Amino acid sequence: MIAEMREALQAVIGGDVSEPVLLAGGASKEAWAVDAGGEKLLVRRAAVGVIHRHTLSLADEFAVLEAAYAAGVKAPKPLQYIPNLAGREAFVMERLEGETIGRRIVQKDELAAARDALPVQMAEELAKIHAIPASRVAFLPNAQLERMVEELDEVGEPHPAIELGLWWLRENRPPERDPVVVHGDYRIGNLVIGEQGLVGVLDWEFAHLDDPVRDLAFALVRAWRFGVPEKRLGGVGPVEPYLERYNELTGFEVQPSELDYWELAGNVGWAIGCLTQMMRHLRGQDRSVELATLGRLGAEVEYEICHLLERASA
Amino acid sequence: MSERPTAQELVEAIQEFLGGEILPTLSDHRLRFRMLVAMNALGIVYRELAALPVVDDEEERELARRIRAGDVQPGMLRHVKADVEARLRVASPGFLEKYS
Repeated sequence: MIAEMREALQAVIGGDVSEPVLLAGGASKEAWAVDAGGEKLLVRRAAVGVIHRHTLSLADEFAVLEAAYAAGVKAPKPLQYIPNLAGREAFVMERLEGETIGRRIVQKDELAAARDALPVQMAEELAKIHAIPASRVAFLPNAQLERMVEELDEVGEPHPAIELGLWWLRENRPPERDPVVVHGDYRIGNLVIGEQGLVGVLDWEFAHLDDPVRDLAFALVRAWRFGVPEKRLGGVGPVEPYLERYNELTGFEVQPSELDYWELAGNVGWAIGCLTQMMRHLRGQDRSVELATLGRLGAEVEYEICHLLERASA
Repeated sequence: MSERPTAQELVEAIQEFLGGEILPTLSDHRLRFRMLVAMNALGIVYRELAALPVVDDEEERELARRIRAGDVQPGMLRHVKADVEARLRVASPGFLEKYS
């Protein structure tokens, strides 16, 4: 299969292509590292099995990446969409150098300066993403908060803590904002970090149209602080400079209370996400100890939901 | 209070992982043998768990239905949080210890 891929890549890219090396990656997409003509490339290719609902096809993801790159967002340069690479959909992009593992980003000594720079840098990239003209990516779906309820019902297990979170979100919804193009999974773990800070934004498969503050608050979710909970922005720094810079650039005048609201929504969404991942294992779509265990670890997120609800009613 | 995956479902996932992904990589005969013994032991746990009565989660289902219908009462959050805490003492005790 690897030889077949290499040949197919050679035909598309041209020139001498190194043997593709499979990188550890997500469940729904494969990532292959190849070098061609002195350039470091990454091939993102569909994986076997069930594709997530509510994620973009690789063709659409490629188009979003193109739009983001054109808008000046720091992201891997998109190079080529390939409808059939050894039997599956794929695209080729630049392979950025840097750290993507959350735990290392929040801990490594040599990334201390990067962490200091990240709150402002993360705000700057997100402001650029939210300014991408929606007409440029007209195929993007509009997201609704109500979709979380549907997903929970598909799991079919009782989770009163999640229900309380959903109830609070229904009762306390802030005034609606005009939807913008959002990344949909903007957090530490999906960003490439170098010693100077943010190098590139990855994983565009959850892009859609939504309330910008929902996207802004996702990086605050405790599960994405990677064991450094006192730094509310992704375990790397404080929220204030992040919010301030974002407001400066967008003029959206986002209030801290809105951020709190969407941080809770992010936790509710991830608590449900843990359960949907678990169901992929239990229903036999993707058998794995990791997904099975995630079903139990969702209780950590439920605990955080309870904590945030206590804070909100205090 | 029920919880998915059940203990039995977790054991099953570990059996599949050990049998499907680890065992085929073991070339050392002693290790292979001891892995088979360990998998046999897991089989015992699996069958013993299968013999336990099914946990009744009707109370939780009823509570979830009430909240969904908007019937949220004072004190409910405290009750729900205590429940989550009990689940965490099993699933992730370290998380609770470090939570601040």
